[in-house]
Amino acid sequence: MLEGLVNKLAQTPWSIGLHESLYMYAITESTHVICIMLFVGTIAMVDLRLLGISYTNVPVSQMLSRMLPWTIVGFVLLLITGAMLFLAIPIRTYHSLWFRLKCLMILIAAVNIAVFTFKVERDKATWDLGRVPRNSKICAVISLSAWASVIVFGRLIAYNWFDCDSINSPAMAGITGCPLDP
Amino acid sequence: MSLLHTAQNIEASALGQTIRESTWLFPAIESTHLLALAMLGGAVLILSLSVLGIGLKTAPAELYKSAHRYMNVALIVLLMTGILLAVSEPVKLYGRQAFCVKMISLVIALAVTYLAFNPLIKRGLSGLGVRSVTVLTMAAWLMVALAGRWIGFS
Repeated sequence: MLEGLVNKLAQTPWSIGLHESLYMYAITESTHVICIMLFVGTIAMVDLRLLGISYTNVPVSQMLSRMLPWTIVGFVLLLITGAMLFLAIPIRTYHSLWFRLKCLMILIAAVNIAVFTFKVERDKATWDLGRVPRNSKICAVISLSAWASVIVFGRLIAYNWFDCDSINSPAMAGITGCPLDP
Repeated sequence: MSLLHTAQNIEASALGQTIRESTWLFPAIESTHLLALAMLGGAVLILSLSVLGIGLKTAPAELYKSAHRYMNVALIVLLMTGILLAVSEPVKLYGRQAFCVKMISLVIALAVTYLAFNPLIKRGLSGLGVRSVTVLTMAAWLMVALAGRWIGFS
């Protein structure tokens, strides 16, 4: 079903237009990369605070309330430009091993954010400037690793090592959803 | 010896050849370059947003104690990986306008950061002058990143 949707998407004038445009694709991708600085940059600084190794003179509550709005701005811009990049090259991206791994890492990061928001940070008033609890540090490490992987996997989408035409094992065909030629 | 000649010599070097001929080296160096870019962005932004009054309320001089380390580490990694990337394809870069723009903005960004932005923040100074330097610093690094990405498109 998803594959049918992607195939339809590829035939839309929006997709073809973005794919064939002289500057729009480059502008979109550049904006996507620039927003990494805003999004992952602010997350990294917050995570370093949650690890208790830096910015220890800033209350955790202030770190979250004053930095996260910028993280959200970055996320919205990344989501819009990311969707446009997918729209420009839908079929290849859909089957990309790296794109699939990137989505998996975003999912892990999202679950981690949910756990942090609904469990870990609830009693932050008791450790706002004190000793950072262990579960906060674990969340920070998961966050840093997941977002770093998202950057790396995102960059690797550009490489064609595992495109459908070079898939020749059933396992890889299963992971990428590519047809396996006999 | 002309600049083009130098580029050709670097391209023919063992290091350049090794990176160019490997499947994984260039992407790995490129990814590390991007990870360090994120860290530089975070360190510059946490200071800049605070100076401009739209980030942390903690004094920028206090934030600087932690931020400057990440800024330095990120820049060292960026410069090292950047040099490796350039060594693998200097002849291509020689003719690219985007690369030229990136190098000029890099010199400006480094100068503004280490000669004005960092010293002003470290001393706890504030005012219109410091805010102007902050905006200039952010703009300069934005230009470096944009021109850098554009190398791949031009």
